[in-house]
Amino acid sequence: MEALNGWWDDFFWGSVVVADVFVVSLILTVLFGLTGAAAKLSKNRVAQSIANGYTIIFRGTPEILVLLLFYFGSAIALTAIAQISNPEIKYVDIPPFWAGSIAIALIVGSYATETFRGAFLGVEPGQIEAARALGLSNFKTFIYVRIPAMWRLALPPFGNHMLSLIKDTALISIIGLEETLFVAEQAIATTGKPFTMFIVVGAIYLGFSTIITLSVVVLEKYANQHLKIAR
Amino acid sequence: MKMIKKCLVSLSFIAAVLAVVVVGTASAEKLRVGMECTYAPFNFKNANGELMGYDVDVAKGVAGLIGADMEFVCQKWDGMIPALLANKFDLVIASMSITEKRLKKMDFSDTYRISVGRLVGKKNAGWKLFDGTGRPIVANFAGLKVGLERATTYSDWFENELPGATVVLYDSNEALYLDLVNGRTDMIMTNPMKAHLRFLSKEDGAGFEFVSPQIDEKKYFGIGVGIGLRKGNDELKGRLNAAVETLTLMGWLEKYALQYFPFAIH
Repeated sequence: MEALNGWWDDFFWGSVVVADVFVVSLILTVLFGLTGAAAKLSKNRVAQSIANGYTIIFRGTPEILVLLLFYFGSAIALTAIAQISNPEIKYVDIPPFWAGSIAIALIVGSYATETFRGAFLGVEPGQIEAARALGLSNFKTFIYVRIPAMWRLALPPFGNHMLSLIKDTALISIIGLEETLFVAEQAIATTGKPFTMFIVVGAIYLGFSTIITLSVVVLEKYANQHLKIAR
Repeated sequence: MKMIKKCLVSLSFIAAVLAVVVVGTASAEKLRVGMECTYAPFNFKNANGELMGYDVDVAKGVAGLIGADMEFVCQKWDGMIPALLANKFDLVIASMSITEKRLKKMDFSDTYRISVGRLVGKKNAGWKLFDGTGRPIVANFAGLKVGLERATTYSDWFENELPGATVVLYDSNEALYLDLVNGRTDMIMTNPMKAHLRFLSKEDGAGFEFVSPQIDEKKYFGIGVGIGLRKGNDELKGRLNAAVETLTLMGWLEKYALQYFPFAIH
């Protein structure tokens, strides 16, 4: 264990990076998922096919590939675009934090799209008819009726997505973001103690995923309290 | 239709997020340097989070001489050249050997370190792998399991010169030692300075030794390690060469090396 001396703070800051990436990509995942689900359920053919293309591509390709393409591809594409307007610009770049968070959110968001779509379809049609009868607009129905009714149904599978999300953050080390796995690799390079370092990383991720699992349990209880009374 | 409007609102939000980009202009001379940050003793971070090593010293020395600011970017080895080409950084100072294959895609400065490889295997195992002149005996490598790092000069040499050996590729130098100790490979080939410092001089490397002479076949190992840069930057390349020459003549390279090795490596 003395090999860990001096590395605790690095692991702490690595965990902060993991948490940051998790929060940002969670928000984006929900956004991508809701947008995708809304597009798939809309009557607009174009929106439907865009959303279908999105889920086919991002659910059907390896996560590491999406991450690398996004990281390297974005730099090449953005630089090329920027140099058209201003040749003085040497480079345009998305920092690894944003490239990684967005790439992970795009991947998990494609799964969330299907989860949310299923959950929206699970909302009783009677509730939507009631909203129509009350004269609520489509948008208001979406926000005040569909979403509150659907998140209960989406919660259990969405808990799984959150676990995928936290574990996918480990992929970001390959684009150079200094999260816990990267810290471990640096520590191994100087101390030569791979097992100690990897076990620390494992413990950190287990900690994060336990917090997520417990939060989902609490949220599920909250979401279903009305059913408990009815029973 | 309103649902679509919501989609558009979301999309514009995503576009706003995507606008978080870094734009570099030609005005300030700031050079971004790519390295692994996990390749001790050449480029690594110590427990205090300071970047150290021979490559880092060379980078700082060069920066001082050409009057540029250096910013270090950590990048895994596999993606080092793609990242350079994608403009993620401007220079590679990461113990990268100058080879013909690499010169097709990128440029290098003059060498700041020699480039060699050596095999490490179990002590007293009675290997008869090399003849008196240091050439490998191809037949005796048949069926041997050799651990190598992916996309390195070592893997090139093995695949072309010793096709009979079973090559096992790894992502990191550390994994080589792990699986050699575990017995998943019979021997490994890597940088002898690194193998000495990280493995053979440590407890877990006690039962192992160098089982080959130094291998430096120019065709694969090139003329040495240089600073990598994108093609078409001849002005910068000229300044880098001048800086490397100064570092060599002033004895700084030797001074850097002696901090980590008992011998000079230029």
